[in-house]
Amino acid sequence: MDIILECKSLAFSHGSTQILNDISFKVGQGRFCAILGRNGSGKTTLLHCLNRVNTPDSGQVILQGEDAAHLSQKQIARRISLVPQEHLDMFPFRVIDVVVMGRAPFLALSALPGPSDYAKAEAALEALNASELGDKNFNRISGGERRIALLARAMTQATQIMLLDEPTNHLDFNNQYHLLSAIREQCLNQGISIVASMHDPNMAALFADDVVMIKNGTIMAGGPAKDLMNRETISRLYDTPIDELQVPQYPGPMFFPEAVLKEGKHVR
Amino acid sequence: MNPSQISIKPLVATLGFALLLVFAGSLSAGRLSISWTEMLSLVSNRLQGIESVGDLASKELVFFYIRLPRCLMALLVGVSLSLSGAVYQGLFRNPLVSPDILGVSAGCTFGAALGLMMGASSMAPVHLLSFVFGMAAVGLSVSLARVIAVKPVIVLVLAGMVVLSFFNALLMTLKYFSDPYDELPSIIFWVMGSLGRVSWGNVAIMAPIALGGTLIFLIFSFRLNILSLGDTQAKSLGLSPQWSRIMLITVSSFLVASAVATCGQICWIGLIIPHMARSLVGPGHERMMPVTALLGGIFLLVADGAARSVTSAEIPVGIITALVGAPAFGYLMFKNRGSGWI
Repeated sequence: MDIILECKSLAFSHGSTQILNDISFKVGQGRFCAILGRNGSGKTTLLHCLNRVNTPDSGQVILQGEDAAHLSQKQIARRISLVPQEHLDMFPFRVIDVVVMGRAPFLALSALPGPSDYAKAEAALEALNASELGDKNFNRISGGERRIALLARAMTQATQIMLLDEPTNHLDFNNQYHLLSAIREQCLNQGISIVASMHDPNMAALFADDVVMIKNGTIMAGGPAKDLMNRETISRLYDTPIDELQVPQYPGPMFFPEAVLKEGKHVR
Repeated sequence: MNPSQISIKPLVATLGFALLLVFAGSLSAGRLSISWTEMLSLVSNRLQGIESVGDLASKELVFFYIRLPRCLMALLVGVSLSLSGAVYQGLFRNPLVSPDILGVSAGCTFGAALGLMMGASSMAPVHLLSFVFGMAAVGLSVSLARVIAVKPVIVLVLAGMVVLSFFNALLMTLKYFSDPYDELPSIIFWVMGSLGRVSWGNVAIMAPIALGGTLIFLIFSFRLNILSLGDTQAKSLGLSPQWSRIMLITVSSFLVASAVATCGQICWIGLIIPHMARSLVGPGHERMMPVTALLGGIFLLVADGAARSVTSAEIPVGIITALVGAPAFGYLMFKNRGSGWI
């Protein structure tokens, strides 16, 4: 397996607060790597360190064999794209105009996106079954639709590595599965590597090849999902007893906090 | 129809033609009215080296030494202020931002007041001091924000407020100690903004600055779309926001300081013209920047023409732009409601 992204003893602090410490892991080509951890454990900060939105205090990020610290922001953006979690209000751009911005790292400083760039943007929307979003005002579509538009932008960026910050946030029940399988298809068919922060261990167990578990800013466990997605490890990660259910036809166990299944006090 | 979809070429051509008409109209307007046929014969006489005689001789002086530089200056200043406003609104991701926000106008006004009180015989030192203090004010805002170094955009706005208030306080001090019969009125009239003092020398300085700045802005217009998404997304799309911000702030401050140093404060153009352009052709900067430049030129030419011809005595053009700008801004906010931006 070719290693396409490697994080070596990375550390990051915000002012005097240490957020990440001694983070090391590798992502192989065409692999889907899920980052799991409790709220505030540093998942988003880690993703932002990988494409140097944040500058790490120490440690290295190796992108396709080169130290990211020696690459320009534009060179990094040609190798690694990001679907951010937070949404800031912006000018009322059309969705297609937002998606085509994914071509920016490939354009000269003064160049405008041309017809071929727009064709790529339209193809990305179409691949996500979202062509009808193109002409809408980005500020007027729902949170889930924005997610899809921003994923289309990352696909337009056509990088070998894609960072997804909680990709299923705001998505409806069916769209969560649809989107993650569309992403997984990208891994399998085009050899794109995914690093995604995720909240639902069941989703990670279904779609991810590898998992990196972050607790209190350091790596608690990392490796193939089939070795780590078990009740002991997940219980340790979330500091709460987790139970697992075997469901016929479902590939692997389903995880629930024990309190929900056993006590039944707060559940109907 | 979504304004982002209309083709801008016919609009830019129409506005360009309108600009020429307004320019010619503004040349003819004023206490001494010069008709278009007279203008044509003045220009052809000048080109052929024929001396104008009689009535035309006095009109020749007014036309070539007062009207023409003044109208050119109105065009250059209108373009500079409106483009700088568009750039600032994109950089600060805020529709309420005008180029004054980092203190450039406050610095310029203080510098000009200082120059006026030193009692120089010509206007040149006043312009120079004004420009220097305007740039110094922006430099202070940017340095203060760099020292604080967190949340770059909001800290820049706050640092700008600090510097702006400080220069306003300095200006008040100057006003208090100034001679109330001579210096104080000249400071007050200077603040109101007027194109009445413009000479060819001013145009010769302003023209390369305005044209150079316009070129840089137009080259950078697509990148402004990306900057307006915020630092995280700009970086992930391969743009270094700190560098771009410093570059664009420097260029716009240069434009605004040069404009304010020669003409005083001409309000509202930087705020309202970009809004007008956005409601015509959508928010994409590669589309709205050329429209902004043309509208800005037209607006200030019309306003300055009105300043010269509405009453027998000239009104400071800053009063006209404010009188028209404030209600027009209110109307634009009403018209663009529900776009998710305001």
